[in-house]
Amino acid sequence: MRAHWHDLWGSGLGPVARIVPRNRILAGTLLFAACLAAPSGTVMGAAFIAAVTAGWTAACGLPRRALASFALLGLAMFLPYVLLVPLIAPIVPAGPGPARLAAALAVPWDVVLHGLAGLFVAAATVSALSVSDLRRGLLALPLPRMLTAVLIQIVHQTAALAAETGRIAAATAVRGGTQGVSTAWRLAAGLPRIWLPRVVGRAERVAAAMELRGYAETDLRVFGRDRLRPADAAVVALALGLLGLAAALRWGWLR
Amino acid sequence: MSGPRVLGFDGVTVRYQPGSVPVLTGVTFALGQAERAALVGLNGSGKTTLLLAAVGLVGHDGLIEVDGLQVGRRTAAEVRRRTGFLFNAPEDQILFPQVIEDVAFGPMRQGEPRDAAYRGAAEMLDRMGVSGLARHPVQHLSHGQKQRVALAGALVNQPPLLLLDEPTSSLDPPGRRALARVLDGFGAAMLVATHDLEFAGRFCRRFLVLDAGRIAYDGPDRLAAERLLGS
Repeated sequence: MRAHWHDLWGSGLGPVARIVPRNRILAGTLLFAACLAAPSGTVMGAAFIAAVTAGWTAACGLPRRALASFALLGLAMFLPYVLLVPLIAPIVPAGPGPARLAAALAVPWDVVLHGLAGLFVAAATVSALSVSDLRRGLLALPLPRMLTAVLIQIVHQTAALAAETGRIAAATAVRGGTQGVSTAWRLAAGLPRIWLPRVVGRAERVAAAMELRGYAETDLRVFGRDRLRPADAAVVALALGLLGLAAALRWGWLR
Repeated sequence: MSGPRVLGFDGVTVRYQPGSVPVLTGVTFALGQAERAALVGLNGSGKTTLLLAAVGLVGHDGLIEVDGLQVGRRTAAEVRRRTGFLFNAPEDQILFPQVIEDVAFGPMRQGEPRDAAYRGAAEMLDRMGVSGLARHPVQHLSHGQKQRVALAGALVNQPPLLLLDEPTSSLDPPGRRALARVLDGFGAAMLVATHDLEFAGRFCRRFLVLDAGRIAYDGPDRLAAERLLGS
């Protein structure tokens, strides 16, 4: 049984996948920050956010199906903010007519644009990293060892626990848990007592295996060593430059 | 027992809670170099607990020795280095997202350079008949494939002792025969906890029958073991 979200990892076929994992993570994080920092209320700012998002998404090669899924998810998540416009319009300090509407739209527009950009940049970065790349990249970054180990285990265990949840969901469906409200309710009410012990049991067995295999006592950084090439540095430099440009747009340093 | 002992249990008792009913009681046996024994018993007889006690994952009273080391808190890490262990559920012990990385972890942990560790891991996967899976994400493997990968991870360091918990539980008949052939190629002492008496009979010359935490039979007679299990 496959966990579909997990298939996004490493699904991108763009040139970014040739960069060392550490720099892929760094560049993705810097561009994420750039998209959030750039102002959405100016033409330059909005164009910058759109261009960075589109450029990174294309460079990572986010598959079309994932692109469409994330577009739908993003619209479902952020478009409802536009529904607030009729509530905001009467209280904004602006003139009548289009000016008032534009002022009322400013906040939802900010949320929608930044939200969609963040979502696409994050999804594109994930698509450019297999789970192995993520681990190698995190290990190569100067992060505290404990934090790295915890992050790696979260990603690794999430797939395992998603599979466990999928098996429970399949068993629930096979046993008629989706037929009839009262049956569904009885099964749903019992799930915490079934799902939690299973997940806890699984976590305990994995902890025993980690202890047995010496996972905690091994310096995992040996797995994260990569040789850097000029292109690797160039991508991070470009991302840093774009973050600087976003800051300049935000605080008006270019005027 | 043949040769110097690689695994020894002397009067071992295990309780999960102080004062509770023991899961293992006064267990005594020894395995010599390259000796293979099947550990059989009904569900809940203590087979898995015995294997876990051997590597110090559950506390015990009495004496357990692995390759000359007395198992205890201070020696646990070294004991585990000298032991290959296959868990009942293979996905529990696969700690890396890609097959080759997981198998290479053992040699890298022993200090081997990355390239040599990956070469060794690739060879082991080849011996297990799953070389084509080396670059696969673990979550896409079937249960049987995961079992082979986990076994490759346990064997790759060529430890002197192998502890296998239900190694054939998710293998088809050709898979069982292939596993027996692969394990035949290793000179390690092996203790195989199993319900699969056919596999055990083909693979082991010695049977340890556990009954409610006690050794009820220790000998070469498969039929005696079967009688005690009621099969």
